[in-house]
Amino acid sequence: MSPMWGSVAQYTAIHWSWTIAIYLFLAGLSSGSIIVALLVKWNRHERSNSSIWDAMIKAGSVVAPTAIFLGLLLLVIDLGRPLSFYWLLIRYNVTSVMSLGVLFLLIYTPIVMVFMLLVFERSVIKYPLLAPLESLINLVKSFHSYAKIIEYFLFVTALCIGSYTGFLLSALYAIPLWNSPLLPILFLTSSLSSGVAVNILIGLLFFKSTINTESIKYLLVLDTRVILTELPLLGLFFIGMFYAGGDTPYAAKMALTEGFWAGIFWLGVIGVGLGLPLLTVIIAMRSHIYRVGYIVINSMVVILGVLMLRYYIIYAGQIYLG
Amino acid sequence: MEKQYRLLYDENLCIGCQACSVACRVENSVPDDCYRVQVHMQTIGIFPHLGMNYERLSCVMCENPPCVSVCPTHASFQSKDGLVHIDERACITCKYCILACPYHARFVNPIKNVVEKCTFCYETRVSKELNPACVSICPTEALSFGDMHQSNAFVAQKSQKEVLLFPKAHLRTKPKVAFIPNRKGMKS
Repeated sequence: MSPMWGSVAQYTAIHWSWTIAIYLFLAGLSSGSIIVALLVKWNRHERSNSSIWDAMIKAGSVVAPTAIFLGLLLLVIDLGRPLSFYWLLIRYNVTSVMSLGVLFLLIYTPIVMVFMLLVFERSVIKYPLLAPLESLINLVKSFHSYAKIIEYFLFVTALCIGSYTGFLLSALYAIPLWNSPLLPILFLTSSLSSGVAVNILIGLLFFKSTINTESIKYLLVLDTRVILTELPLLGLFFIGMFYAGGDTPYAAKMALTEGFWAGIFWLGVIGVGLGLPLLTVIIAMRSHIYRVGYIVINSMVVILGVLMLRYYIIYAGQIYLG
Repeated sequence: MEKQYRLLYDENLCIGCQACSVACRVENSVPDDCYRVQVHMQTIGIFPHLGMNYERLSCVMCENPPCVSVCPTHASFQSKDGLVHIDERACITCKYCILACPYHARFVNPIKNVVEKCTFCYETRVSKELNPACVSICPTEALSFGDMHQSNAFVAQKSQKEVLLFPKAHLRTKPKVAFIPNRKGMKS
């Protein structure tokens, strides 16, 4: 359709760009890392060294609040009117996933911060500047008999954070690539994958003294299972689109075959993000060795793959409308 | 009494003069490179068997507006007359509604930095019992506007007589803008 006067630029603009892609990634990373930390705490918590906290738990407790804070910063910056963000806090719309996300974040963010304070209690006490936090830590510790319940609650909240970013996109039926019921579970699994990777990475780099090889092994096995779940999920995601009516099959076809973003999907998301880690696992299994160097590189590759999945979904969704 | 507005666009009467688009820009001070309404033209066939189709692109004022249900701050809201408006004060320009709209009717006003779209000229005209700017300027009466509750209104009578096409009706958004499809010339 040729405009006699006017422009179609308005119809093809990218409204959510890299800031949102990175936010989705960071929210997933945050929830994934805290989920992994809790899993290690519940399943693999042996006191093999001086600290009561496993390196994986330490890593999760640092990554979760840091990532969510950076993400929220990006989210506010991306608004057309960043200073008006307070409207999100005073008005709520239960049918809007964005509004529900704000509620989840308001619950989740303080809990992960307190979790970090508890894990690094000894370091906090050392600094006079952080002294006021001591009373907060003591207050929280007085609830220690409810620790397990609070941990379960945090786990559920983290699941909400990891999946709401998927619902945020899947709620929009105007965009075929986003309007899939599989998107939340896909985002949640890849969040978990990035959580495993980032905890291992940060644990190996900064908390080497409290590393427990058993928990690393446990997590690497977990990650392999997660990746083996994610691959068929991605398959189902597109198969479902091909069976759907309307513009959806055309959007799916274009998203898989056309231009830069199809390349990102096949090389980045599938090749680097899922293929390489699987290859590493196969090679490591054959030679029965896990070299630290491999594990570090493998973790970075997984994180990169998860980031590219978010980029791909955000951009390809807005470009390929069928 | 609550209104049941309808805007009819008769593709058979449209000549593509763009007066509606100009009137809209003047009435609503629409910034350059943004459009609340556009009429696009498509010529098909080989001479002498030609066809010319026009398409109006604007907000269709859904009964079930996806832009309202996704808005986190209720800045995008539906009035009691069923018209969808934007409360500029509460709009944080998160652009969620722009992405939710299947008609691509919304855009960010680069001057005010808030989301904007067709309002049926409610503030300046319709609330004062006037027709929207695009309707009042249309030289061929391709556009007509009115309250469907008034059975003697022109839109109500024309809606009775003509075959109406509601854009993307399968999405069940229930638009208040209806098209009378082109009957003349080549179809493909």
